[in-house]
Amino acid sequence: MKKSFLALITFTGLALTSTWVSAKTEINVQNIIEKAEMASFYAGDDGRAEALMMIVDAQGRKQMRKFTILRKDIEDQGDQKFMVFFSRPTDVKNTVFRVEKHVALEQDDDRWLYLPALDLVKRISAGDKRTSFVGSHFFYEDVSGRSITEDDFSLVEENDAFYVLDAKPKKPESVEFSHYQIKIDKTTFLPMSINFYKGDKHYRQVETVKVESISGYPTVLRSKVSDLETGGYTLMEFRNVTYNTGVPDEVFTERSLRTPPQQWLQ
Amino acid sequence: MQLKENSRFKIATLVRNIALYSLFTAMVNAQESQQDEWDLDAWDAIAENDSTSNVSPITGFVELAYSHRLQTDPVLDRPQTLADARMQFQWDYALQASQLKTRADIYYDGVKNNTELQIRELAWQGSLSQLSILGELGQHFDAKVGQQVLTWGTGDYLFLNDLFPKDYQSFFSGRDDEYLKAPSFAAKLSGYFDWVNLDFVITPRFTPDNFINGEYYSFFSPVVEANIASEFHVASENRPTSPEYHLRLHKTLGSHELAFYGYKGYSPLPSASDSLGRPKFTDINVYGFSLVTPIGPGIVKFEYAYQNALEDTSGENPYIPNSMSKYLVGYEQEIIANLTGSIQWYTERTQEHGLALANSFWPQFEQEKVRNVVTTQLIYRALRQTLTFNLFNFYSPSDEDGYLRFRSTYSPVDQWSISAGVNVFYGDKKHTFFNQFDDASNGFLSYRYYYTL
Repeated sequence: MKKSFLALITFTGLALTSTWVSAKTEINVQNIIEKAEMASFYAGDDGRAEALMMIVDAQGRKQMRKFTILRKDIEDQGDQKFMVFFSRPTDVKNTVFRVEKHVALEQDDDRWLYLPALDLVKRISAGDKRTSFVGSHFFYEDVSGRSITEDDFSLVEENDAFYVLDAKPKKPESVEFSHYQIKIDKTTFLPMSINFYKGDKHYRQVETVKVESISGYPTVLRSKVSDLETGGYTLMEFRNVTYNTGVPDEVFTERSLRTPPQQWLQ
Repeated sequence: MQLKENSRFKIATLVRNIALYSLFTAMVNAQESQQDEWDLDAWDAIAENDSTSNVSPITGFVELAYSHRLQTDPVLDRPQTLADARMQFQWDYALQASQLKTRADIYYDGVKNNTELQIRELAWQGSLSQLSILGELGQHFDAKVGQQVLTWGTGDYLFLNDLFPKDYQSFFSGRDDEYLKAPSFAAKLSGYFDWVNLDFVITPRFTPDNFINGEYYSFFSPVVEANIASEFHVASENRPTSPEYHLRLHKTLGSHELAFYGYKGYSPLPSASDSLGRPKFTDINVYGFSLVTPIGPGIVKFEYAYQNALEDTSGENPYIPNSMSKYLVGYEQEIIANLTGSIQWYTERTQEHGLALANSFWPQFEQEKVRNVVTTQLIYRALRQTLTFNLFNFYSPSDEDGYLRFRSTYSPVDQWSISAGVNVFYGDKKHTFFNQFDDASNGFLSYRYYYTL
């Protein structure tokens, strides 16, 4: 099972329940990371949000990305469907990205891109997931979720508010980091920071900046990723987040690439 | 002295106060800028409201593009193959369950020395669920009616079942890929059902490709056995005005995409001729299918098309190109992070090739019975995708000629991009498909500035 945990781009959070709080004494590392994955990527049965990204490069030059995301879970901690409708910048306006995320490790995600200027639906081959997502400092894997089965986790610290886990990749040759540390909020199970290291060198950081409860789901509304080597960073903000909209399966098809489903986008 | 000390004290106090004030304002500013950084609307003045408004802003770009031949063309004295000053406008208007879409280019074409307007999109697009006469059925249909760009099929720069108009003059000269597809006035009806999806397109008036006609490039003439650049236009009686019909049935089964295609219309290039030897579009039907599926780390595609020459079913008529079978096999995968490679094998097999040769006026210049083209592509994205290199090569082992395209684009900000590259045609024989354009090989440079009104 490929399980993802980074609380970055998807609609995050799980309902706060007393069960979680009372269970904390018996919680183990596997439980923590699975709950973090649920909180980060599987809030509700579906979700919709508008995302605004500001990408700032090492020279201070800024770029913007603006898009609306629709998500539908096939099952919790299982396969998911995504549609991403871009409205900014100008050169990608009306471009649509469609993903069918598969959690089975042996199956790659299915991905399509619609290029409106050519009226072209292009199937995209599977790519390295630790490369830039839409030109930002976020990686595709930050967005789609990194499988929790790809790393070995250990608890390095626990206090009243947080768990701090250390993660080491099972296949170090497949990633650019040697390990990372993830700080998980004990009440929401949302990752509040993730620090990536090459040996002792701390070179990449993802921070949760603002969390709000939406329809009972703690949701990351603002996050920031920093490339500590170059000084560049990306800010991301979610707006108008809604859960359990009832969006039907038919919306997650080629039809919506060419004819955006207005009623689910507004 | 007293006074002096007093004033010194005052000055010291003043300096300290200024220092404290500076420090304080610096701290406040730092705090504000920390907050301001998240005030994305202030930075992006038009972000506010644009998701709730029906009217989208007018967006687009202005572009300067120039390309220069890498050699001279003895029959065309112009050294440039492209000299555009262009402005594109894009504007959408959202209705209840549909949209009006507009995209238009106005440009000065320095090669032809005139100003052109191209409406690339002026169309209504939406669901037919509002049409009460259709009842429940309406929910299954979308339509797009008006001027529009249309594409389907699986090939990269190779089109088997896609008979929608292309613009090869733009493609060869270094214009953006967008301009390879030319717009047409058409009505597209799309139906979506559990068992199959369909697209049916009617182009009420046949719209051919924008073909090489001697305006920008010279081309091989078998009559004089050399390249000529006598600009030609197809006589109106050889240019059909009847409708074209395009059909696609498609279905996704798991990760596999299967499609069937049909076309009734005319050859998109004036590859036939009338009894006077003048170029002419000829009646054709095209049938085919395609399959796209992931295999291993990549995507495999297969496409087949049979082009039926309706005006020369026996294959004897030297004025009409014979029927043809077309095959395409392709594979694409990411080779290493940020580097994607693809390869395609394309074959055209002419039916009744022996009869075609026997009846040809210029058998030595006729296409081989089997013409093969191999394409390879490498795309590399660097610097967080702000720098892109795209290398695409067509090579025909049967014609021993080819065409190499290279384009690099740099866009470190949203407001502008700069592109440079080359189009190189190569080969041994003067008459083969790509090599006839070898004097049109060019290097190009373009600058685009994106705007929002």
